[in-house]
Amino acid sequence: MSIESRLVLPLAALFVACFVAPLCVLVILSLHGEAAMRTWTLANYAKFFTDPFNYSILWDTLLLGVKATLLCLVFAYPIAWICARSGPRLQSAIVFLVILPILTSVVVRTFSWIVILGRQGIINQIALSLGLVNEPIRLLYTETGVVMVLAQVQMPLMVLPILTVLLKIDPNLADVSRVLGAGEWRTLWRVTIPLSLPGVIAGCILTYTACITAFVTQTLIGGARLIYMPLHIYQQAIGANNWPFAAAISVVFMVAVLLIVAVLSAAARRSETYVQV
Amino acid sequence: MTHHISRRTLLTGGATFGAAIGMPRIVKAQSKTLVAATFPGTWSEADRNVIAPAFKQATGASVTQSIVLGTDQLARLTAAKGNQPPFDVAFFDTPQVLDAAREGLIVEYPSAKSPNFKDLLPKFQDKWGPKITMQVIGIGYNPKSITSPPKSWDDLWNPKYKGRVGLTALNSQLGIAFLAELNRLKGGTETDFEPAFKALRELLPNVGAIAANLGAYATLWQQEQIDIAPYNFNFVQTLKAKGVPVELSIPDTGAVGWETSLHLVANAVEPELAVKYIDLHIDPAIQAQISKPPYDAIPTNSKVALEGAITTSLATSQAGLEKVRGFDWTKLNPQRGALIDRFNREIKI
Repeated sequence: MSIESRLVLPLAALFVACFVAPLCVLVILSLHGEAAMRTWTLANYAKFFTDPFNYSILWDTLLLGVKATLLCLVFAYPIAWICARSGPRLQSAIVFLVILPILTSVVVRTFSWIVILGRQGIINQIALSLGLVNEPIRLLYTETGVVMVLAQVQMPLMVLPILTVLLKIDPNLADVSRVLGAGEWRTLWRVTIPLSLPGVIAGCILTYTACITAFVTQTLIGGARLIYMPLHIYQQAIGANNWPFAAAISVVFMVAVLLIVAVLSAAARRSETYVQV
Repeated sequence: MTHHISRRTLLTGGATFGAAIGMPRIVKAQSKTLVAATFPGTWSEADRNVIAPAFKQATGASVTQSIVLGTDQLARLTAAKGNQPPFDVAFFDTPQVLDAAREGLIVEYPSAKSPNFKDLLPKFQDKWGPKITMQVIGIGYNPKSITSPPKSWDDLWNPKYKGRVGLTALNSQLGIAFLAELNRLKGGTETDFEPAFKALRELLPNVGAIAANLGAYATLWQQEQIDIAPYNFNFVQTLKAKGVPVELSIPDTGAVGWETSLHLVANAVEPELAVKYIDLHIDPAIQAQISKPPYDAIPTNSKVALEGAITTSLATSQAGLEKVRGFDWTKLNPQRGALIDRFNREIKI
């Protein structure tokens, strides 16, 4: 065995013990009728797939991720682009500002959004004092609110991969494009964006998976009427004490997310070959 | 200049780091530590500021708090069943006691070793563990926008509160108790919850927010996102102490509530200390102290006189406390999962 493969062993052991083993327990639990695991059954999966209420939650969750990821991309790409083109001092200032939110807990970030979005919050107070609205608009406990907050809270996960790829693009390529007569926009659209696609896709995968599993943000900003998969799993496990069903929902959710990630990764590989050509 | 880390430096560093992590345990091992669960909010503060110092003085041991809701404690004890439990003292509301006792997660309380147990009002002497306080629910309202206190649960349906009513999901005790009381008032039975759900459907146009948990529920009041909602006596006192405009009104149909109790966990690491710790919670001097603001815990020891906010909004005498209506949790508990499920379907946007 080579030294490299032996060096991987501790990590592999940790991975198996802390990730693969619990995952197996989860799958096995989902195939049982009760938490004590006495009888084998597929009833939990049957229950999930025969009830439209469950798909509507799964669908809402997957869609929520798409909305939040797209909104995040719209704001993150320009930030990464400006950052990549600025001088070293401004660049490190922007990177610092982007990373800053990660340094605080997601609970703190989410709570500060409650203060911003609430009836007495900053947005409503400004809108009221400017006379834009007559009574406070409802932002908290709406899906719009959840999408806004997720897009901001997960922003670093999108900016950093895009920035990394943008910094690796040979600046000569943009110069060549300009010399050949393309304007700024055309260069951005035909050269920079295609070359940065691997970073965009990596950022989307990270942001998407973080958004759909963001239990804290979804429940604090969305409340109990907007039920997404993490809250559904939590309620079945803790509130209803139905562990096998909660395990089955978790497995279905995980498979759905893995499928989406697999599709995005395949897209990423294609875009990388495009970059090399 | 480059810095090379030699294998020796790395190993020494690693060993030092490991020792540093291990150190606090070695130091701690000299005095015993009890791990006790407590509820988030008022109780975690009372346990930290009043009970823990008294416990340290009486036994020399310290307490590590595990701040977890009753349902979550039940889940953790179930997960650890057969192994060392994650805490020695469980902190439950009435419904979890039944489940925990049935699953063998707690043991019968050794009341002979607990000198204050016999002084509890008879209603609060439970063989599984002493009831240390009561939780009573009523109508919470914002006195800035609702100047005359609501008199009846029916006020929640008043069209003038459109979009201003709050609710909490059924994974909290408050949520399930409100649903059960509503069902009783609307003529339902313990097996038929249709009357409650029909009333809830009619309430939805008025509902501005349904909080997923009690922490988010408190924020709704703080942000004045809601004006009127079912709420719990103690949470109201905690928020009031923080300057949040909220008051509690007991509806004309009477006060309803449940009890909170402490329990010795099966296979506890420190059973002797656990009983001493539990007994402190029913000590008359301590109960008198935590029945005052900012804790306002309703006392259960017959030697403690009622005073303060408890007498103005709940009961003037201990006889009044014993009259607070409870719920039949033996019938409600098995339906909890189905009720949560139905509630979610009815309220989902």
